[in-house]
Amino acid sequence: MPSLTQTMVAPGLITVFAAERGNAKIIPSLIMVDNVLGAQDAIITVVDRFTTSASNGAAAAVTTANRLGINVSMAACVSMRDELKDMEILGQLELLIGTADANCIVTVAWDFK
Amino acid sequence: MIELKPTPLATVSPGVPKLLQEGYYVRFTEAWPAELSPVRGRFFQIAETNEVPYDVFHTLPTNDYRDVDLSNAASGENLYPENVSTLYEVILGFKPGNYLTQFFIPATEALSRLEAPGMNPSPTSATLRYLGARKPEDSPYEDKRIFMYFVKNVEPTILRVLVDTGIDFEKCVLGFTVNKCRLSHIAAPNAEQLRLAKVIRYYSELRW
Repeated sequence: MPSLTQTMVAPGLITVFAAERGNAKIIPSLIMVDNVLGAQDAIITVVDRFTTSASNGAAAAVTTANRLGINVSMAACVSMRDELKDMEILGQLELLIGTADANCIVTVAWDFK
Repeated sequence: MIELKPTPLATVSPGVPKLLQEGYYVRFTEAWPAELSPVRGRFFQIAETNEVPYDVFHTLPTNDYRDVDLSNAASGENLYPENVSTLYEVILGFKPGNYLTQFFIPATEALSRLEAPGMNPSPTSATLRYLGARKPEDSPYEDKRIFMYFVKNVEPTILRVLVDTGIDFEKCVLGFTVNKCRLSHIAAPNAEQLRLAKVIRYYSELRW
């Protein structure tokens, strides 16, 4: 399964981990937040960004949904695996951090279903 | 023309092919309309096959639906053949999710309805949305159990894909395998060939 490590300094504070795959959902299997050298607590949100199809009641639109919130203290490192087993991402898997921090390192692994 | 195959109650060894194969026989009933005279009441042997997988996917909001037209209409998915000597055996399975699918052929007429007045599927009804609707577990993506048979110019088949309540959005993935079958006409089949043939009924025979 694919994985990616990134520091949380992306412009606009959103970091893309996995692009949408049309015929599958993304199933995150691991999120590890290394904030040991972070300058402040890392407040991270897992964001699902997808485009809906036109339906009977609505036109096609880009939509986001927050799927998980994590608050990792300074000098801490948190790993989540079992907590993610029921999470599904319909579109693009993104992480959003409250304050950009080059010392906050996030690793995400995922699979497709 | 549309069949939902039940879960197998027994297994046979060696296994039996799920799809039509080269050399198999098919027979179209007399109920097929005169406009479809190339197949109406006729008997064929499968000369060649080719399996083509294809996925259709839509992310839809809760309590809302989208009609997916399988025909070759401008907004359709183009899953109908263009040649009169081609039969498409299309099998359909669903990836898991909180959605239902209702079948309409032609566009305004539900395939599954009951005899009492008003017992027609309706996506806007809290109860009738479940009438005749197929759930993903009825025909899993990896074990497709819904079979459809299309020839050139048959009326459009519409799948009404409805996201049920209790979820914000759902990604509905419809997995198709199109078994392209080239038909070879047999003018005078013998009794054994007739016995072995798969009978392909017109949709009006299914909705009695």
